[in-house]
Amino acid sequence: MARRHLIIGGGTAGMNAMRTIREEEREPSEITLVSAEKPYSRMVLPYYLDRSIAESHVFTASAALLAQWKVKAHLGRRVTALDVKTNVCTLDDGTKVEYDDCLIATGSAPVRAPVPGADGRNVHSFWTLDECRGVIASIAPGSHVVMVGAGFISFTILNSILALGAKLTIVEVAPRILPRMVDAAGAEVVESWLEAHGVAIRTDVKVTKIEDAKGKKRLKFAAGADLVCDVVIMATGIKTNLDWLKGAGVQIDRGVVVDDHLRSNVPNVYAAGDVAEGRDLVSGQPALHAIEPTAQEHGRVVGANMAGKDVAYKGSLIVNIVEVCHLDAASFGAWDDAKAEAVSGLKRDRAAYRKLLFSGDRLTGAIIIGRSGDVWTTNDVGMLKGLVQTGVSLGRFKDHLKAHPFDVKTAYIASGTTGALLPETVLGRPSKAPGETPVAV
Amino acid sequence: MKVLKITPERCTGCLRCEIACSYMQVGAFQPAKSVIRVSPFEGHTSYAPYTCTQCAEGWCMTACPVGAITINAAGAKDVLDDRCVGCKLCTIACPYGTVFYDPSTRKAFKCNLCGGDPACAHACPTAAIEYEDVPTADWLHDFARERASHVLATNGGGR
Ligand SMILES: Cc1cc2nc3c(=O)[nH]c(=O)nc-3n(C[C@H](O)[C@H](O)[C@H](O)COP(=O)(O)OP(=O)(O)OC[C@H]3O[C@@H](n4cnc5c(N)ncnc54)[C@H](O)[C@@H]3O)c2cc1C
Ligand code: SF4
Repeated sequence: MARRHLIIGGGTAGMNAMRTIREEEREPSEITLVSAEKPYSRMVLPYYLDRSIAESHVFTASAALLAQWKVKAHLGRRVTALDVKTNVCTLDDGTKVEYDDCLIATGSAPVRAPVPGADGRNVHSFWTLDECRGVIASIAPGSHVVMVGAGFISFTILNSILALGAKLTIVEVAPRILPRMVDAAGAEVVESWLEAHGVAIRTDVKVTKIEDAKGKKRLKFAAGADLVCDVVIMATGIKTNLDWLKGAGVQIDRGVVVDDHLRSNVPNVYAAGDVAEGRDLVSGQPALHAIEPTAQEHGRVVGANMAGKDVAYKGSLIVNIVEVCHLDAASFGAWDDAKAEAVSGLKRDRAAYRKLLFSGDRLTGAIIIGRSGDVWTTNDVGMLKGLVQTGVSLGRFKDHLKAHPFDVKTAYIASGTTGALLPETVLGRPSKAPGETPVAV
Repeated sequence: MKVLKITPERCTGCLRCEIACSYMQVGAFQPAKSVIRVSPFEGHTSYAPYTCTQCAEGWCMTACPVGAITINAAGAKDVLDDRCVGCKLCTIACPYGTVFYDPSTRKAFKCNLCGGDPACAHACPTAAIEYEDVPTADWLHDFARERASHVLATNGGGR
């Protein structure tokens, strides 16, 4: 009998897993997908928000593609229970699905600050396609939008909100913006850039209440003046979609605890993406990364292992990049390691900032901020990622980088980073192009 | 597969490759739009061109959330402009620093081997860039290591 794979969640990790199963398998298998939403890419939603792409562009699999991959799809359905003893999962309509192995890839959901009015009219989260549609319907040119939370997700939609002709105010409870993406010095560069581009920012303020005020919204704070606006977007954090799995016997810490094959404590149950607590490449420690590249790599490794390959995963590297008003901000690896040896460089007039962190003569983390029009910003973004990813020994070039944090290329090339990277692949073979997946018959 | 074979010792720093590349890629003689980039070494006494290796993993391709990077007939990873949304994930996923972003088009761009007839190799007058059927390699490592002593000594990095 053909092996029966069950994929729970058709987001980034689930889609990558299904594609890789079809790429790798020797014998045809059955794939069943259960997903609360149709497969689409969340990180593309900001480009739909300002209508620079059509809604159809966000979807990662059409019904035709799923049929071509011979996936039996239950879309719009949630898994409510998993019985790991009998290998059966139950859907919210009572349907039971039997499996031989299963992937948990249910991603995250947004969490709103627990204040009165947080669930009121014209208060939105921005995580799902439905929420994106809600925000689109509520913003008109000239609207005043208040974003609660100055984290990565707020910043991914900042350009789109401005492009819609809205006026934007960002409020943040922490003393500074982007607390989980750049350090304080970097945050200052981004903050003054945004203020110069007409974005109002209030840090160190705690929202206590959101009220309706004659068709508008009024935000009250623990201290300071009220804010009156048209639309509130809450980007105050996320949590893993794992409540349905509690008590099933799958070990959950911050996420589903997985080994280097992305297997949980139950050998035929895998986890990938936002919900998987796998190995961090730099620290070697278990970590939860809610980022797209981790979901992609996890998904591909699980797919290969489900198809019968034996693929061990080296670990995921934290990489973040966001562009706001033509300023790029990016960070990698252990950028916030307070104990690491670090050097930073600032060119205030060009809004350029670098921070490099070392362990011995290896780069373990970096922050880079610069104007997106500056050719060297994109160049160095990739090279810094390569240095952290390979952990090449920098030797004498460490001192060079410390003296000249803006001259990355010399150290990169002269340390043989390219040579260290060339043999590296995630699945132990060259990757296939997105459209190349063969169909099992 | 044919690759761009770089012999840095032959490069004179004339930048014809950058000019030819940008003309081929975007129709303008504008090195900023070139996807092969010449770097100086040893205080501008020697130079070397650097570009995408068309690596086996294709970090840019596997990272793209919308499948906008594919493999063209020449075997090169190629950005499909009408799919690219400009999210920059490929620029940060590429550990070689060879995927770029054009703020004027809001798209990523990179070396696509000109579809199998690379303009840089044609333009190079000293054959520092050749298009040959050889395994790809780290062409610049030894050259750069030898020619960085000046940088290290004058910039306070040497020991
Ligand atoms: C606006 C926005 C911008 C972003 N920008 C970036 C960025 O620039 N860079 C970056 O690296 N990351 C970014 N991210 C994060 C990135 O999108 C996520 O890390 C990624 O989608 C995680 O993939 P995943 O497969 O784990 O989960 P998801 O893609 O979230 O997929 C989970 C799937 O599971 C389904 N599901 C949930 N519960 C159940 C259930 N009980 N039963 C069945 N199905 C269920 C969901 O409906 C969904 O289809 C962004 C996210 C958002 C929202
Ligand atoms: S910038 Fe374009 S090509 Fe690069 S990852 Fe984003 S959508 Fe894909």
